Amino acid sequence: MASLTSRVERIARSEPERRAVACGEQRIDYGTLWAQANAFAAFLRNSGIVDGDRVALILPNGIEAIVACYGSWLAGAVIVPLNAQARARDLEPWLRHCEARCVVHESGHGDAESALAALELPPLRVATGTGEATPGTIAWQTAVETMATPAATTAEPADLAMILYTSGTTGAPKGVMLGHAGLAANVDSIIDYLELDRNDSIVSVLPFYYSYGASVLHTHLAVGGFLVIEPNLVFPHMIVETMARERVSGFSGVPSTFLLLLNRVPLADHDLSSLRYVTQAGGAMAPATTQRLQQALPQVRIFIMYGQTEATARLTWLPPQKLVEKSGAVGIPIPGVELVVRREDGQLAEPFEVGEVHARGPNLMLGYWRNPDATAAVLSEGWLKTGDMGHLDSDGYLFLSGRRSDMIKTGAHRVHPKDVEEVIAELPAIAETAVVGIDDDTLGQVIKAFIVVSTEQSLTVNQVKAHCRDRLAAYKIPKHIEFVDALPKTASGKIRRAELIATTEPREVS
Amino acid sequence: MDHKKQIKKFVLENYLFTDDESALADSDSLIRNGIVDSTGMLELIGHLEETYSIKVENAEMIPANFDSIDTIGAFVENKLSA
Repeated sequence: MASLTSRVERIARSEPERRAVACGEQRIDYGTLWAQANAFAAFLRNSGIVDGDRVALILPNGIEAIVACYGSWLAGAVIVPLNAQARARDLEPWLRHCEARCVVHESGHGDAESALAALELPPLRVATGTGEATPGTIAWQTAVETMATPAATTAEPADLAMILYTSGTTGAPKGVMLGHAGLAANVDSIIDYLELDRNDSIVSVLPFYYSYGASVLHTHLAVGGFLVIEPNLVFPHMIVETMARERVSGFSGVPSTFLLLLNRVPLADHDLSSLRYVTQAGGAMAPATTQRLQQALPQVRIFIMYGQTEATARLTWLPPQKLVEKSGAVGIPIPGVELVVRREDGQLAEPFEVGEVHARGPNLMLGYWRNPDATAAVLSEGWLKTGDMGHLDSDGYLFLSGRRSDMIKTGAHRVHPKDVEEVIAELPAIAETAVVGIDDDTLGQVIKAFIVVSTEQSLTVNQVKAHCRDRLAAYKIPKHIEFVDALPKTASGKIRRAELIATTEPREVS
Repeated sequence: MDHKKQIKKFVLENYLFTDDESALADSDSLIRNGIVDSTGMLELIGHLEETYSIKVENAEMIPANFDSIDTIGAFVENKLSA
């Protein structure tokens, strides 16, 4: 199976002037992308980076992030794309845990700089952007101007390619290890069912440091497609204008992406005749929203999908022609993947019987980085325990019905309640706190914190939010806060989160 | 209180959770600094429409109008004087 780097190389050699990526005013073709990746690889090797070293990327979506990714792979390194919105309290333990030998970040990224300053063994630092470079930091432009000789190493399929951290500071960080072969296998499966080819192009709004955004990136580069990067969804109509102007054939989003577009942009006013397909993953989208999307874009094939970072990205897809017949399903396994639903005792569940979804295939992770206990808890005899509950119907279509864990899905983000609870608990007035996800019409879920304040102490909602804002990524700040006298608990003292969620009226404002 | 000050007060209270005016310069980018995201921008525009009885058209929802307290203040002044 051809590696992702070799696919880009093939296109760069045969069609160097073929357009690859646009980001704002910047445009880059495959030849230049490949040359810059090779230059960055040469820079890394000249700087002492060796096979298997970790190169952490704290970058927003952009050409630099793509060059740094492919260049690191060419140098034989493992990339660790970190959430560029994360604060120093998350970045520092991740950098320590993966023992990053090189870190690429935006100049002026205060949290990246704070996290780096805290490390006893400073890694090689490369800063993108035009801001003033910190002493000891190499400018990106310098790193990609290195005289490029052909890359000295070629990663083997079995080698580790990427580590993606899926949780924050609680306990041992969980870094999902993805191999070159797994990445290539998942890319091939996705290309197959989306029928992607060199004529495809896409507006990309999903962060590359999440598995969904990464899969959009790598699938398009693998076929010689064209990727148009939009940095955010703050002005939804501008996304649609870009789709129309660039005549793109594809668009990928999470449920909140499509709700924003449907609610804020009169799609019929834009010429989207070039749009061939859209994909949706990252949490359940209400069938009513899917119907609205299909009505707004009648010529477009809508692919509902499901996956996990632990499976590189993708596990299932719903063929667009089954959208109505199998409404609410996340589809059938992608090529190469097997899915089963198991009971608590490990036995296979009957059709329509709810159990835990297990998956097997070449796209599964290699494990969690330096965390054998967490790995053993989910990987066993070639199968991944997804933690997702659901059932298969008699035709083998998967329907999901929730998760075993308390993880909150808000927009495109995953938030572990503990990450937020730990920060709130640092306030002196806090006796105890519990954080849950409550339903939200746009974001799927938003974060709500229930707080018990110590006797004779006082605390305001804004004090809690300001404290969180200083320490957490913006999407982790609780939208709602409720002060309560006590938290509901089981006899053994475990917080009854379901009860807290049930006490919250939809659309409560606080 | 002029419009710009009112808008800044709203942004400070709702996105930075403070009344400390020094927490945000009037020229600071609200988007690049992660102060306002997609849903935050919708809330902010809803607030402006309600408070100043104005209608913000889709074509007006661009960074040039909404990226800082300065640009939002100027945009609102223009709308009110139109």
